[in-house]
Amino acid sequence: MYNFTYHRAGSVDAAASRLAESGDAKLLAGGMTLLPTMKQRLAQPSELIDLNEIDGLKGITVSGGTVTIGAMTRHADVAASAEVKQAIPALARLAGLIGDPAVRNRGTIGGSIANNDPSADYPAAVVGLGATVVTNKREIAGDDFFTGMFETALDEGEIVTAVRFPVPQKAAYFKFPNPASRYAVVGVMVAKTASGVRVAVTGAGPCVFRQSDMESALSGNFSADALSGISQDADGLNEDIHASAEYRASLVVVGAKRAVAEIA
Amino acid sequence: MDFHGEYRIPAPRQRVWEALNDTETLGRCIPGCESIQKTSDTVMSAVVQAKVGPVSAKFTGDVTLEDIDPPNGYTILGEGKGGVAGFAKGTAKVVLADDGDGTLLTYAVDAQVGGKLAQVGARLVAGTVKKMADEFFGTFTAIVGGEAQAQSQAQSAPVGAAPAAVPAAAAAKKSWASPLTIGILVIAAILVIYFVVT
Repeated sequence: MYNFTYHRAGSVDAAASRLAESGDAKLLAGGMTLLPTMKQRLAQPSELIDLNEIDGLKGITVSGGTVTIGAMTRHADVAASAEVKQAIPALARLAGLIGDPAVRNRGTIGGSIANNDPSADYPAAVVGLGATVVTNKREIAGDDFFTGMFETALDEGEIVTAVRFPVPQKAAYFKFPNPASRYAVVGVMVAKTASGVRVAVTGAGPCVFRQSDMESALSGNFSADALSGISQDADGLNEDIHASAEYRASLVVVGAKRAVAEIA
Repeated sequence: MDFHGEYRIPAPRQRVWEALNDTETLGRCIPGCESIQKTSDTVMSAVVQAKVGPVSAKFTGDVTLEDIDPPNGYTILGEGKGGVAGFAKGTAKVVLADDGDGTLLTYAVDAQVGGKLAQVGARLVAGTVKKMADEFFGTFTAIVGGEAQAQSQAQSAPVGAAPAAVPAAAAAKKSWASPLTIGILVIAAILVIYFVVT
């Protein structure tokens, strides 16, 4: 690891202004991707601005059909939250499937979505549940937030402060994890909401995406049978020694069916 | 791992070929390229500042050109080393064909990733290569296509305008360089390396 300056921010505003002043600083949330990257000397920020001591960024509130999760809330806290389990059980389950206990006790929802790893779980929840990402400057619809591999709609210096999930009528998350890394080879979030059915897929492609064929099929008939004639195009999907693009495409269909079967 | 793709560039094949062999153009098109130079007739070396997700690191890669067949294409061989993390090497076959007023460029990459990278890192390589290739060709098309457009406007200009320089087929020149490749291979190597992290 290269040398860097450590700065503990006391508030979001302080972190934002520090970030603007310091040319090559990085925000430190859980550090579950950033720190290993720095240890490999693949990143060399001049300064880390630690968000961990900002109390306003932590916590879960449920009110009026909305679950709001502070950006610095740990995966383990979401997984264990009685309120989340009651309001959106699929979200608590998803959080409990991320990584291993060490990752779940350090990693944060804000860090995960800002990083936008193509195989991360939370992007499937944000898109699949139609969540809204709240930043220190504005609110961004989940559908518009993830713009490409490791890319988001966040501006330079913009900081995620919370994510608001509308409570769906029903939702389920299917995950086929890589047994070593626990990253999603494929993850599928299926949700039936007041405004329609949403199907979001992570892990399979370079960025989370909605499976619109499945959404249309499920809008008319919310059952696993409705998906029997639907296939996922393998073109453009991820491919590695663990899973070919075709295998991932197949998993998308299987995963969606299983998720629907769980709640139909 | 195999990757392939194609891009349509709105410029004549000869012009595309020249641009593909011009280090300056290549340097402008390769995302994060800090320097690029040819070290011999068929070898070029590039320094690239890669920024993908949390990674922001500098990599050096060499590529060698083979089967040079102006203005139809060439094969690029590249290798990137990531120390203990492993290595990535591969070949990219680039073929140019006329497509109406423009040129159809197709590429096929065969990459091998070894060491720790192969176990951990490979999941993002295809996506990264695609992204880098898209950025490369987006810029390349803008530069080369933009020139061609400016040229055709000049040609249709009123009498008096000097006939737009028809780029003398620099075919005589031995080509050596290749852009794409570097883009693809260096970046593949980089990315691969990156994957180790995940």
